[in-house]
Amino acid sequence: MNDHVTIRRGQSHLDAIRLQYGAAIEDAEWQTENQVTVTVALASLPEVVETLYYGREGWLATIVANDERQLNGHYALYYILSMEGADRCFFVVRALVPAHKPEFPSVTPRVPAVVWGEREVRDMFGLEPVGLPDQRRLVLPDDWPDDLYPLRKGAMDYRTRPMPAAPAETYTFINEKTKTSTEVPLGPLHITSDEPAHFRLFVDGERIIDADYRLFYVHRGMEKLAETRMSYNEVNFLTDRICGICGFTHSFAYSSAVERALGIDVPERAQFIRSVAGEVERLHSNLLNVGLACHFIGFDSGFMQVFRVREKAMTIAEVLTGARKTYALTLVGGVRRDIHKAERLRILELVAELRRDVADILDILMSTANLEARTRGVGRLDPKIARDFSPSGAVVRGSGFARDTRTMHPYGAYANAPVVVHTEQGCDVLSRVLVRVEDVQNSLDIIEYLIDKMPEGPVLVEGFSYIPQRFAIGNTEAPRGDDIHWVMLGDNQKLYRWRCRAPTYANWPVLRYMFRDNSVADAPLIVASIDPCYSCCDRMTVVDVRKETTTVVPMKELERWGRERKDSPLA
Amino acid sequence: MFKLLREIVKTGDVTTRYPKKPFPISPNFRGRVEYDPLRCMACAACTIACPANALSMVTDPAAGKRTWMFNYGRCVVCARCEEVCPTEAIVLSGQFELAVRAKSDLMVTAEFSLVTCRQCDTPFAPKKEVDYAMALLERAGVNPHDLELRRVQYETCPECRRLNDFARLRETRLVSGLDAPAAALVADLVSHMAPLRSGAELEP
Amino acid sequence: MKPPDTILGTNLVPAPGAVFSEAEEIAKLKDSLMKRIRRSAYVFRVDCGGCNGCEIEIFAAFSPIFDAERFGIKLVSSPRHADILLYTGSMTRSMRLPAIRSYHAAPDPKIVIGYGACGCTGGIFHDLYCVWGGAESVVPVDVYIPGCPPTPAATIYGFALALGLLEQKLKARHHKEGENEVVIPIRPLIPLRLRVALEREARRMSGYRQGRIVVDRFMSILGHEGANAPFAERMKAYLDEEGDPRLTEIFERLNDIVEGRPSGWTGQSSASSSTS
Repeated sequence: MNDHVTIRRGQSHLDAIRLQYGAAIEDAEWQTENQVTVTVALASLPEVVETLYYGREGWLATIVANDERQLNGHYALYYILSMEGADRCFFVVRALVPAHKPEFPSVTPRVPAVVWGEREVRDMFGLEPVGLPDQRRLVLPDDWPDDLYPLRKGAMDYRTRPMPAAPAETYTFINEKTKTSTEVPLGPLHITSDEPAHFRLFVDGERIIDADYRLFYVHRGMEKLAETRMSYNEVNFLTDRICGICGFTHSFAYSSAVERALGIDVPERAQFIRSVAGEVERLHSNLLNVGLACHFIGFDSGFMQVFRVREKAMTIAEVLTGARKTYALTLVGGVRRDIHKAERLRILELVAELRRDVADILDILMSTANLEARTRGVGRLDPKIARDFSPSGAVVRGSGFARDTRTMHPYGAYANAPVVVHTEQGCDVLSRVLVRVEDVQNSLDIIEYLIDKMPEGPVLVEGFSYIPQRFAIGNTEAPRGDDIHWVMLGDNQKLYRWRCRAPTYANWPVLRYMFRDNSVADAPLIVASIDPCYSCCDRMTVVDVRKETTTVVPMKELERWGRERKDSPLA
Repeated sequence: MFKLLREIVKTGDVTTRYPKKPFPISPNFRGRVEYDPLRCMACAACTIACPANALSMVTDPAAGKRTWMFNYGRCVVCARCEEVCPTEAIVLSGQFELAVRAKSDLMVTAEFSLVTCRQCDTPFAPKKEVDYAMALLERAGVNPHDLELRRVQYETCPECRRLNDFARLRETRLVSGLDAPAAALVADLVSHMAPLRSGAELEP
Repeated sequence: MKPPDTILGTNLVPAPGAVFSEAEEIAKLKDSLMKRIRRSAYVFRVDCGGCNGCEIEIFAAFSPIFDAERFGIKLVSSPRHADILLYTGSMTRSMRLPAIRSYHAAPDPKIVIGYGACGCTGGIFHDLYCVWGGAESVVPVDVYIPGCPPTPAATIYGFALALGLLEQKLKARHHKEGENEVVIPIRPLIPLRLRVALEREARRMSGYRQGRIVVDRFMSILGHEGANAPFAERMKAYLDEEGDPRLTEIFERLNDIVEGRPSGWTGQSSASSSTS
C-alpha cells in the first residue's frame, strides 16, 4: 500500500528504535514522504514514545484511538510525534490493544504531554490507561453513563441521547501542590464570558497555589458526526465550525489529510489560495488577541482601536471567501473560489491599509507603560514545563522554542513563503503578546507574497476515488498553534475515523503551571495569553487553602479587578 | 497617551450608518438563500449536499407528491446548494436581514407531483425532473422515436427497471440498450445534473 | 414557568421542540417591555456550546465600526441585569442546566433571542448525541437571528427587530406545483455537451461561483448571434476591456474546449488517483 511514496523521511528514527527495542518494533509503513507509522508491541509503547520524545526531539502532536476490530480484531492507538530535530517528520507509534482486554500501559508517567489524550481515549473508547494517575473524565459530561463509549463502532447511534447517569455535575477538582482535594458546590450561574469552562483556583491570600479546570462543556460529538451523517466533502463545513475563529485552518488540515492519504496532487493555485486564507485568519485572530491583551490590562481605548483595525482583516476574508468567517472555502482536492483582478486589487489595498494602521496601533500599545508593567514576568511558562507538555503557537514560542508547523512540516504554499518564526525568551505574558505582534506583521508580508506569486492553473481536482483504510495526518498552523487532523478513510463514502486536535487542547494543560505563584488579579490576563478562543472561562472558584473558604467570583468581576486592581472581590 | 489621542482625532467617525443606510457588502458575499420554486425540479442534489440538513425532502407516495423544505434557521450559508443546483433554482443573494419573531417564518416549502411508474403504479420521480431531462435530450437533437423510448425508461421506477434489466440479462447475457453516442450523452447529463453526488446512487 | 421534565433529561428521546406556552400575564408584561425599552436594552449572552464564531461577531457588533451601543444596547455580565438573553451555540448536554438557570435568573419580562444557526435550531450539530438542539429546546424563544454566524450588521438588524424598531423581512413561503410547470434549460443556444464541458472547466479553474460568472459571460459572448465581428474578436475586445490576466487565462482554456483542443490539465492528477 502507498507505494507512491518514494522519499521516506524518518528512517533514522526507525533505525534507532529498532536498534534499541529489536523485536518490539513490528512493522513500519510510510503514508507520505514525511509520515511514517510504526507498529510496536503494546508493552513497549511507553518506552518507545519516551525515547522518541525526549531522546530524539519528538513533540506530541496528538493521540488517536481507533476501533479497528472489524479490520484486524483490535483497537489501535496512534501516538503521533512531530520530530523537530534532525530528520524532521511525523513519526507515529502505533500499538494494538486486544478487543477482549481493553487496556494499555499509560505513557503519561513517562511523557506528561499525553495526559489529556489518554483521558479522552478512556472516555470515548473505554480503553483503560493502566498507571494513569488522573482517573477523572475529560470530555464526556459528568452525567454520561459509565459503560457507553461513543466512538466504539456500533456502540450507539450518533443521535442517541442516553439517560443521565448521575446528578448533573460531579467533577472533582485537584490541587496538586498541597495535595488537598477540596469539594466545592458547583453551578455555573455566571456564564458571563465567552465559552463555558469552569475554573478552580487554589489560593493562599491572593497568591495562586494551584489551579484546575473543567472544560468540554461544549462537547457535541463532532468526531462521531463525521463518521456517520456526513460524506467527505460535508466534513469540510463541519471542520469550519470546530472554532469560530480559526475554523478555516481546521478545514485546511482536514482536506490536506484526506488528500495526503490518497496521494492527490492538489493544484498549486488552490494551495496558494488556501494559504492566503490561512494567513488572513491568523491575522484577524492575532489582532483579536492583541486587542484582548489591551482589554485585560485596562487599556480599553486600545482595545477598541485594535477592533476597528481588525475589521479590515474581516473585510479581506469576505472578499476572498464571501463571508467574514466560517469560510466554506475548501473541498477535498482544492478550493471553491478564485482570486481575480477585482479581489486581488482589493486585498492588496486592504493589506496596505492594515500595514499602516497596525503600525500606528502597535506604536501606541508599545508606548503604553501599563502593558509592560502588567505583563512582564506574569504567567511564566518555564521552558522545561513547555518541553514536557508540547504546547504550541505563541505559548511555546514565547518560551523560546521555534515551533511552527509551517516551517517544521511545510504544507500548502508555505515551502517558499517568507515565514518568520519569531520567538521570545521572556516566557511571560509580554513575550506571548510580542510574538503575536510579530506574527501580525509577518502575516501581512506572507499575504502579499502569495498574492504576488499566485500561479496559474486550476483550483480544484475532482473525479478521484476514495480508498478505504488509507490514512494520513493533516497539519496547519492556526493562530494559536498547530491543528492536527488524522483521518482514516472508510467505505460507503464516509470517514472511518477522524481525529482533530486544536492547539488549545495542547495549551490548556500548561495553564495550571502558568497560574502558580501569580496574583489572582492576573489570572484573566494569563488565561487570555494562551488565547483559548478568548478567555474561555465563565468564572473562577477561588479556594483559600489556609482559610478553607470558598468564594465564587464572576469572571467579569475578576476581569474588572484585573483591570482596576482595587476593591478585591476576595476581601 | 498623546499618540492615542492623535490616532483618535485622525480616525474620526468610522461607524456605519446602518440600518439607516444600506450596509455595503462584497460582490461575492454569501447571504440569504433565494429559492425559485419555478426553476426547481426536486432533483434532491441540494438536499444531499447540504451539510447541516437545512434542506430536506419528504416523499409521500400515497399522495404522489414530494415536498422540498428549507429552514433558514439551520442554514450555515455554505452555498453548497447553490453550487450543486443544476437549474440555478437556488442562488445566494447579498441579503442578510433574516431575523424573525416566529419560527415558522424561517421555513420555505415547495410541493411537487411525482410520476407514477408505468409498470407498478408507484409514484417515484418528480414530474418536473423527468420533463427537464426530456427537454435536454430534445435540445440535444435526439430523434422523436428514441425520445419516446427514453420517456418510457424514465417513467419506470428503479426497482422495475432493475427487474427488467435482470430479465433481459438472462435472455441475452448482455446489458445492451442505448447506442454509444446516446449512452455518452446520458452519462454526461446525469453527471452534470449531480456533479457532486460522487458515489451516490445516481437516479435518472 | 417550570421547564418540563424532557429538558432536565429524565425523558431523553430526541430533543423536544418548543414546548412552552407563555402565561398571558407574562405576554402582557413582555408587550409593555417592548414599548418601554425601545431606547435601551441590556443583553446577556449565554454560550451553550457554540464554536465561538457568534461570540466574536457579537463582539464585533459592539466595536467602533458597528457600535450597537448607539441604540442603547449594552452587554451585561449577569443575567440578573438582563432584558434580553442571547442564546448562542447548540444546546449541549452539559450546558442545558446552566442555560435554564440563567433563564430563571433573568427578571421577567425578558426577551430571549436564539442567535445563529445553532441557537435557532442546533445548526449543523442539531442531532448529535450531546446536543439537545437550539435554545428553544430548553427555553421559550421570542426572536430568531439566523446566520452562521450572523454578521454584525445582521446582529444589529436582529436587535432592532427584537425591540420593534424595524420590520421583519422574511416570511414563511409555500409553493404548490402549478399545472404544466416546467423548468426551461439555461443557455438553450449552446449545445448541451459543449455547455457541460465549459461549465466543468470553469468550475475547475475558478470555483463554483466565479466559474459560473465567467462561463456565463463566455457563453453569452459565444452565443451572441447576429453580431458583426467573429467570436475571437468579440472575446478579445471583452478581455482587453477587463484587463485581467486571470480572466484571459480561463477564457483561453474555455476557448480550447470550443475549438476541440484538449485541456492541458486533465491528466494532472489522474496518475495518483487511478491507484484504486
